[in-house]
Amino acid sequence: MASDESLPALKILMIGPSGAGKSALLIRYCDDQFDSESSTATIGVDFKVKKLSVHGTAYRLNLLDTAGQERFRTLSNSYYRGAHGVILVYDISNRPSFQAMERWFEEAETNAMPGAILYLVGNKMDKASSSRVVRYEEGEELARRHGCGFCEVSAKTRDNVKKPFVDIVDQIVRKPELLKASSRRSGTVALVEPEGTGSICAC
Amino acid sequence: MESLSETQWDVLIEGTGLRQSLLALALSRSGKKILHVDQNGYYGDAEAAFSLQEADEWVEQVKGDSPTGTFRNASLWKPDEEASKEERKLSFSRAYTLTLSPQIIYTRSQLLTQLVSSKVYRQLEFQAVGNWWIYTLPEAEAVSESDQKAILKRLPNGREDIFEDESIENRAKRSLMKFLKFVVNYEEHPEIWQPHAESSLSDFLASQFQLSPYLQTLIAALTLSLDKPEETSVGYALPRIERHLTSIGVFGPGFGAVLPKWGGGAEISQVACRAGAVGGGSYVLGTGIKTVQEKGEDQPIEVELSNGETVKTKYLARGSESKDDTTPSPRALSKIIAVVSSPFASLFESSVEGSPLAAVSVVVFPPNTLTTDTIPHTHPVYIMVHSSETGECPAGQCVLYATTLYSPTSKALLDAALQALLNSAKDIGDAKLLYTLSYEQQGPASHPSLDLAFNDQVLEDVAQEWDAIMGEGVDPATFMQFEDRPGMNDDDNEGLASAN
Ligand SMILES: Nc1nc2c(ncn2[C@@H]2O[C@H](COP(=O)(O)OP(=O)(O)OP(=O)(O)O)[C@@H](O)[C@H]2O)c(=O)[nH]1
Ligand SMILES: [Mg+2]
Repeated sequence: MASDESLPALKILMIGPSGAGKSALLIRYCDDQFDSESSTATIGVDFKVKKLSVHGTAYRLNLLDTAGQERFRTLSNSYYRGAHGVILVYDISNRPSFQAMERWFEEAETNAMPGAILYLVGNKMDKASSSRVVRYEEGEELARRHGCGFCEVSAKTRDNVKKPFVDIVDQIVRKPELLKASSRRSGTVALVEPEGTGSICAC
Repeated sequence: MESLSETQWDVLIEGTGLRQSLLALALSRSGKKILHVDQNGYYGDAEAAFSLQEADEWVEQVKGDSPTGTFRNASLWKPDEEASKEERKLSFSRAYTLTLSPQIIYTRSQLLTQLVSSKVYRQLEFQAVGNWWIYTLPEAEAVSESDQKAILKRLPNGREDIFEDESIENRAKRSLMKFLKFVVNYEEHPEIWQPHAESSLSDFLASQFQLSPYLQTLIAALTLSLDKPEETSVGYALPRIERHLTSIGVFGPGFGAVLPKWGGGAEISQVACRAGAVGGGSYVLGTGIKTVQEKGEDQPIEVELSNGETVKTKYLARGSESKDDTTPSPRALSKIIAVVSSPFASLFESSVEGSPLAAVSVVVFPPNTLTTDTIPHTHPVYIMVHSSETGECPAGQCVLYATTLYSPTSKALLDAALQALLNSAKDIGDAKLLYTLSYEQQGPASHPSLDLAFNDQVLEDVAQEWDAIMGEGVDPATFMQFEDRPGMNDDDNEGLASAN
């Protein structure tokens, strides 16, 4: 649909330790699918696009996954460019994944543009009764210290999966200066005709 | 996940410099299992970009490197904190992205074609390299200048500009037009230039086109040659002048080259590595290659990594310099990266209607324009001026990238060029230097890394290595030709309202 291209685009990143369920959450939210077998679901997915309306305005969310570059903590600065929001994901059944969050906050805070919205998510809530090792209050407290939103979700059971995305978009759109900061300026050179179908000119 | 040593790698790429990153991009849809490592804790290698703090660390790193390494003699200078007024101080470390790869990319470079066909251009923001300026002493001008100060003169941007340029007399204009007409089609007229291919550009312009020394200087500036004009050969210069002239207007009026925002080549290498990761490649930084054992035909190569792990790979793509080379490199450049407390707005003003606001300007200091009693000025100096639009510095400041051929006095020469630029740019009031990082970069004489413009030779090297890895039967026409990744699923409209 051509009209979707013209919707205001928001760039939202997923970060956090390997195995926390970033890809699972993204795929549950975008495609409503969950595959408990696959742990390499991210291969070949650069970003997912999802349309979302908040307060009657439709937005085009570009949701970026880490493409495995978080495994050895080798996300590049360029991953963070122009991101309006960053969702930090840990696994409530895995203590080290929670302990790693302080460093992920630090990385997001130094690399994302000033004013970008952060949001903390504790995933795998379905395991709460069987193997929870990180209490809800701990997550809440960490988020409070970084002044960001928080919720627990389960990519497996769908519980709460929409909430982090809706909340973060809601906060982003309340900051018009954030949207303006990332809009492309008059100095940008287009290598491809805007409406073109991928043809580079006169080379 | 599996450990590195348990995986049977198809390709191990060493280093995340531009060439190796483009190789990773080229292989990103091949389905091959790729391990990409870099001994540095950051992306980009010799094409990296740094915050101020990272630049500090890099300077320390270079001090520890072997003197035959790519970089040497790095040093930093910052003014006294106390002495600087609040509004003319360096900002925080992350407000800067100082790049080791400010190479401009001509609009007709295959690099742009390949960034488009491989779709990674979507992750890059290109900005125009707009105005070219030439530093001119008053007496060198064709028309006398009442102001006795040296000035920056805008290089004519195409033919119309030359017609309107009042500093060039009519007869000289005709000669110049004749040369320009020839040079954009020089390949079709070998009889004119081939006998002179090895002679100097200045002699050729004087004898074949009767161009004055001043016009010779203007033409030489377009080559971005780091050699003396009398040592810049016709065979080297003509393709570069042709490239310059025919690149103007390709993507819009008033400019012939572009640069990606956030540090040029450094940003391209990061985006290319991300494409490699999206394709399934594994990225490990801070990990180099210690030893390599070839086990013979059809046996995987065993590579010991600096983290102690030993991995097996079918193909090993080594970094650019061989690590055990002890012969000094034949060519060295002297470079300074400087931050100044002025936006230098007049340098970026457009002279051509409809052109995008330039983020990069080129200032050329021809030989002998900066000579003093103690500093000979025999080789041209180039300063690439990057505005804050490049994302490399805060608003109100600029980053200057100065380059000249290394000599015992080249650093002093670059300092003089920076000072001359500060003195001659009209709008700056009392702009001052906030920071300088000087270093030397060396390599084989015609190595692409020592060029001020991106050299398409890099792409040929990448294509060749890609070809070797892909093996028999791969269609060369598929190099860097990719579809957009699926990601679109605009079928559902959520229509959600938030909690309130
Ligand atoms: N029980 C349960 N398992 C989950 C949930 N979300 C993800 N998983 C599982 O956790 C594992 C890791 O999930 P991924 O989505 O691959 O994790 P990731 O954060 O993308 O990590 P990378 O593999 O490094 O990309 C997979 O086996 C998933 O099936 C969840 O909500 N509940
Ligand atoms: Mg994943």
